[in-house]
Amino acid sequence: MLVKIKKSTKLQETLSGYLFVAPAVLILATFTFAPILYSIFLSFHKVRILGEIQYRFVEFKNFARIWSDERFWIALKNTAEYVLLVVPIQTALALVLAALLNAKIKGRKLFRVLLFLPTVTSSAVLVLIFIWIYNSNGLLNNFLAFLHLPTYNWLGDPNVALKSIAIMNIWSTAPFFMVIYLAALQDIPESLYEAARLDGASAIDQFFTITLPLLRPVTLFAVVVGIIGTFQLFDQSYIFSGGSGGPNNSTLTLVLLIYQYAFKNLEMGYASALALILALVILISTLIQRRFFQTEKL
Amino acid sequence: MKGISLIRAIFVLLLVFLTACGSTDSATVVKLSGWQSSPAEKQLLEGVLRDFEATHPSIKVKFEVITDQYMDAIKTRLIGDAAPDLFYLDALEAPLLMRSAVLEPLDPYIRPEDEVADFEPAFLKAFQNGGKTYGLPKDFSTLALFYNRDLFAQAAISDPPKTWEQFIADAQKLTRDPNNDGRPEQYGFGLIPELARNSFLLKALGRDLTNRQGYAIFAHRRSLKGLQSLVDLYRGTPNGKHSITRAAAVPSDVGASSGSEMLGQGKTAMVIEGSWAIPYFKETFPKLQFATAEIPTPGRKPGTMAYTVAYVMNKQSKHKQAAWEVLAYLTGKEGMEAWAKGGLVLPARRSVLTRLGYDTNPLYAPFVAGAKYATIWQGGETLSIINTHFNNQFLSALLGEQSLQQAMQKAQDSANREIKTSNY
Repeated sequence: MLVKIKKSTKLQETLSGYLFVAPAVLILATFTFAPILYSIFLSFHKVRILGEIQYRFVEFKNFARIWSDERFWIALKNTAEYVLLVVPIQTALALVLAALLNAKIKGRKLFRVLLFLPTVTSSAVLVLIFIWIYNSNGLLNNFLAFLHLPTYNWLGDPNVALKSIAIMNIWSTAPFFMVIYLAALQDIPESLYEAARLDGASAIDQFFTITLPLLRPVTLFAVVVGIIGTFQLFDQSYIFSGGSGGPNNSTLTLVLLIYQYAFKNLEMGYASALALILALVILISTLIQRRFFQTEKL
Repeated sequence: MKGISLIRAIFVLLLVFLTACGSTDSATVVKLSGWQSSPAEKQLLEGVLRDFEATHPSIKVKFEVITDQYMDAIKTRLIGDAAPDLFYLDALEAPLLMRSAVLEPLDPYIRPEDEVADFEPAFLKAFQNGGKTYGLPKDFSTLALFYNRDLFAQAAISDPPKTWEQFIADAQKLTRDPNNDGRPEQYGFGLIPELARNSFLLKALGRDLTNRQGYAIFAHRRSLKGLQSLVDLYRGTPNGKHSITRAAAVPSDVGASSGSEMLGQGKTAMVIEGSWAIPYFKETFPKLQFATAEIPTPGRKPGTMAYTVAYVMNKQSKHKQAAWEVLAYLTGKEGMEAWAKGGLVLPARRSVLTRLGYDTNPLYAPFVAGAKYATIWQGGETLSIINTHFNNQFLSALLGEQSLQQAMQKAQDSANREIKTSNY
């Protein structure tokens, strides 16, 4: 009898367990897993989506086309350039800002709020404001001219357009990582620094031998999340170029390219193939970083 | 028991309420989507629709404005079976939609009193495919030369340029650099470096943009002569035989967002723009003394661009007859006249064009004249690919990264390669 009761309660527990996770599983299945599977399915097909929907199995032709697609390589190069420019600077800047705000300076709460504001502002609004700032006769050029520095056509010159977006994004995302660094900094026990000081370590020694190693997991987090975020650059370059990726493809990113193929040319199959490749690129770069930062777990 | 009866009572009440709502509103609702260039444009159209509803009490029209990325939104809605009954369609996008069989052919609905022959034939043709008519043009706009009369007087130029050589010469005369810093404060010509604005130059001097298979063929020496002179005007050719000083700017050079803004702010003395700029200047720059003229003849033949938009019907529409009534009214003489009074665009019917006096109005006459020889901004489905490659490479030639011939050859090759690889 006792065993039987135990069994039935166990079954009941299992059932109610599944019942509890059911909503989450259902939502994830419909909005995450099903689209992923469908997108894998699409990437092996040539799809006609307007009018009557038609799928035609084309094996790996979508992927073969990526190889010979000039714009894909341009987009990949732009995106990689952007990632390499933004991630190190934004991570370093976040660390410096956090270290400054961790010091006992006056009005640091105010500074924290001020620095964090760009992160909570909508990126679309930021881009519009920055388009004004970057205007040929705008704030930035006037400021540079005032200091007798060279001025640029920030929006129209293919050589600087992507850098304009990078500057803006560093400014707006660095504070997010700053807050995370700040929390981690306050977790480092004061006693370590005290011991180091007794041993005669300078402030710089302390920073490189105590602070930086202890912040390693946070740095891994900041770099990984930063790289994933920057690889997916879309809205800023979309608004900047009015959706074209111009001037002269200089702000064409992978996600923008995917958008153009999917919604402008309605080539869903090819766009899905591109999206898979992007996912693969991000996956590989994340794995490389994990190796790079060794086996620290998040 | 009491609880159940209460719920039932509420349910019955709700049912009565809902059906009552339905029965008071028995009119068929036709959904119409479009874009707007200004709030005034929307008000104008809503006025026309109110007139329609007054004479057709059984039909109500719900007008919805899609403010950004219009075609992306419409295409997505067509795919999701959520498209409106009627919508605007630019000639540029017509070939794809006509071929995809998402538009209702209008031929069975057209009656003799609709006087289809009254439409400018070239514009109607833009919405015909395989012997079927898929849309009736609502309006059009061509490009013409806008110039600042005060700046012309300052430079002692009495008339707008008629030939391309005069145009190049005038543009240089109109360029001024009072503070001598090498960056002119006033340019002769404001250039929009896009294929959509300049493809008539290719045709006027050489050949078409594409061949029958949809492949690009524009990178021909003769076709590029017009564009070359624009590049020369933009970069200046100080060492050549016929030296040209830098006399053109693109909007971002002078911190403007459009050609009309450049002219309005006095940054340039001439721009090539559409008739939509006329109400814009009157509203935004009331002090500007501007006039219009036909585009200087680039070769032996005159040339300009024409953009036309039609009303089309969704094949999935549930109220096709009602939608047709709306379409016929809006593109009919009465509806079109009420719509085209605003002066943003010109009516696609010749009779309305004459009745509103646009062909004799000095500001609008160059646009009307242009309609006869204009190149309609439309191509096969490959046009969007060609457009992207052209714009990128043309900009690069303007910036001096490569010669125009090189840039255009590259644009043509890469566009054709992309067209080829996308066929499988």
